[in-house]
Amino acid sequence: MQVIDPSIALEGTTPIEEERVRPVTRRTGADRAFRLTTFGAGTLTLVLMGVIGLFLLVRSWSAISAAGLSFFTTSAWQPDGGAFGIAAVLLGTFLIAFVALGFAVPLAAGGALFITDYAPSKIKTPLVWLVDLLAAVPSLIYGLWGRAYLQPKIIPISEWISTHLGFIPFLKAKPGAGFAASTFIAGVVVALMVLPICTAVMREVFSQAPAGEKEGALALGGTRWGVVRDVVLPFGRGGMVGASMLGLGRALGETIAVTLIISPTFDITRLTHPLETGGNSIASLIALRFSESSSFGISALMAAGLALFVITLLVNAVASLVVSRSRSGASTEI
Amino acid sequence: MTTIEHEVLDLNNPAPELPPSSSLTARGVSAWFGDHKVLERVNLDMPAGEVTALIGPSGCGKSTFLRILNRMHELVPSATLSGTIALDGDDIYRGDIPVTEMRRRIGMVFQKPNPFPAMTVSENVIAGLKLSGVKATKSDRRDLVESCLQRAGLWNEVKNRLGAAGGALSGGQQQRLCIARALAVKPSVLLMDEPCSALDPTSTRRIEETIAEIAHEVTIVIVTHNMQQAHRVSNTAAFFLAGEGEPGHIVESGDTETLFTNPADPRTLDYVNGRFG
Ligand SMILES: Nc1ncnc2c1ncn2[C@@H]1O[C@H](COP(=O)(O)OP(=O)(O)O)[C@@H](O)[C@H]1O
Ligand SMILES: [Mg+2]
Repeated sequence: MQVIDPSIALEGTTPIEEERVRPVTRRTGADRAFRLTTFGAGTLTLVLMGVIGLFLLVRSWSAISAAGLSFFTTSAWQPDGGAFGIAAVLLGTFLIAFVALGFAVPLAAGGALFITDYAPSKIKTPLVWLVDLLAAVPSLIYGLWGRAYLQPKIIPISEWISTHLGFIPFLKAKPGAGFAASTFIAGVVVALMVLPICTAVMREVFSQAPAGEKEGALALGGTRWGVVRDVVLPFGRGGMVGASMLGLGRALGETIAVTLIISPTFDITRLTHPLETGGNSIASLIALRFSESSSFGISALMAAGLALFVITLLVNAVASLVVSRSRSGASTEI
Repeated sequence: MTTIEHEVLDLNNPAPELPPSSSLTARGVSAWFGDHKVLERVNLDMPAGEVTALIGPSGCGKSTFLRILNRMHELVPSATLSGTIALDGDDIYRGDIPVTEMRRRIGMVFQKPNPFPAMTVSENVIAGLKLSGVKATKSDRRDLVESCLQRAGLWNEVKNRLGAAGGALSGGQQQRLCIARALAVKPSVLLMDEPCSALDPTSTRRIEETIAEIAHEVTIVIVTHNMQQAHRVSNTAAFFLAGEGEPGHIVESGDTETLFTNPADPRTLDYVNGRFG
């Protein structure tokens, strides 16, 4: 085959330069306005995050520089006495969140599966609506209800767990210890508060499980549970992890409900016995101490707030990464 | 006494390795989605151990009919039906046999290959055992994986990567994996809804060979848009047609050779010769 080089196609003449263009789509006015608005909104969010972080850093600087690394290892909170740190409150925060997730994640997974794969289509919409409604209840109401109504009902359960599962060290209560105002009770109430977000995200992921694979499982003689186990759950695994972490982000920052329920303690031994009276969290520490602190005390609280801000930001970032990386949408490719 | 015990034993241990294939009979089958009637009084005999091809233009109800045959139709919330389907003479809708057991006996291969992507090739083949709660020893399972992949014509291509993900195979291999998966629960009928429409010609040929090899041990009902394929693989054929705004019905059915060369209805002749549809 003869190859024609365009530069020598016309012998004796100078090589013709090709005219290269990149077609452009001209943007309409509405298009440009929309771009500008979304770009503006996106940027504003980022700037706001930066401003909040910076504000916390500046206001907490005197406390941070005074405490240094001991801020992470001290469990007491006496800024004006010179000893203060987030060891106890941070631990308490995570303990409450873990108790909350321990209840919320299985409940959310079960509820989401019921809605997507078991409920008759007639009651699906009311159920979704009902779960979403849980999110609309103010956390103050959860706190009041939890303290006045739920707590007396949970205390006997705490006692039962402590006597029957007491061979697990952290579940064993000291003789004479009370069971009210505990990490456990706060965790149960926070569980109800993170349930809607966890259920909503899991429901969304489960509902995207590929129909072809579900039919394939049914055609092999599978039951509904078989379909859930072999198709829906493997498909939704990443989404479940993401939903749990979104719930964690919420639980870590929950303030008023926790403040109303726990009796604050900075004693690590008491904190690590979640059934017993006494718990703590960064958010409730700030809420309780803010109005009665010296200016240095406020700086110390700002430092605790900065720690909470960074942690929740990280948890949420990881959560959204996991959700977007999960196999949602991808079914068998040909 | 002894005779009775003997009989019970016989019933519990039907000796043959492969269950004998079964016949399917449709009588007066109509189907609706909501108020929309899509099938009109379909009668069809699908003889045991033979290949029955369902042909006809798009939208005339072939898939709906096929899905009625293994009770997948009822998975659509608005779907209803009338008429009877009998497996070896037993009504599959009104009998005592649970729907999951019925679907196990009447397997299905779909238009789009749908292996379970999170499972390996071997796990895909035996997925049906797990789904229907059948216990099997490790060596039984290994034998089953090999024999089903052999019968589906896939063994030589995947024997060295049984641990690979099911989704990592090519489209044609995935479809044969789905056939192997369906065969593993020992169905007596296998329904196939345009199993080759998403595949290249070579894969299509491999699947046709597979159909020819398994046809003597399992009754096959296949929907296809490919006239040569219907002609090549089937013994019996049924031509479905739906008039404008009317439900689909069978124009004629019977011996494939007759239907293709000397049909009773001129519309059949036109369709098999590609003159409309
Ligand atoms: N899930 C469904 N819901 C409502 N209508 C459906 C559904 N599936 C199929 N139909 C309708 O039923 C008719 C027959 O469809 P189908 O059985 O898929 O035909 P074919 O397989 O012959 O192309 C069509 O009119 C189609 O629109
Ligand atoms: Mg179809």
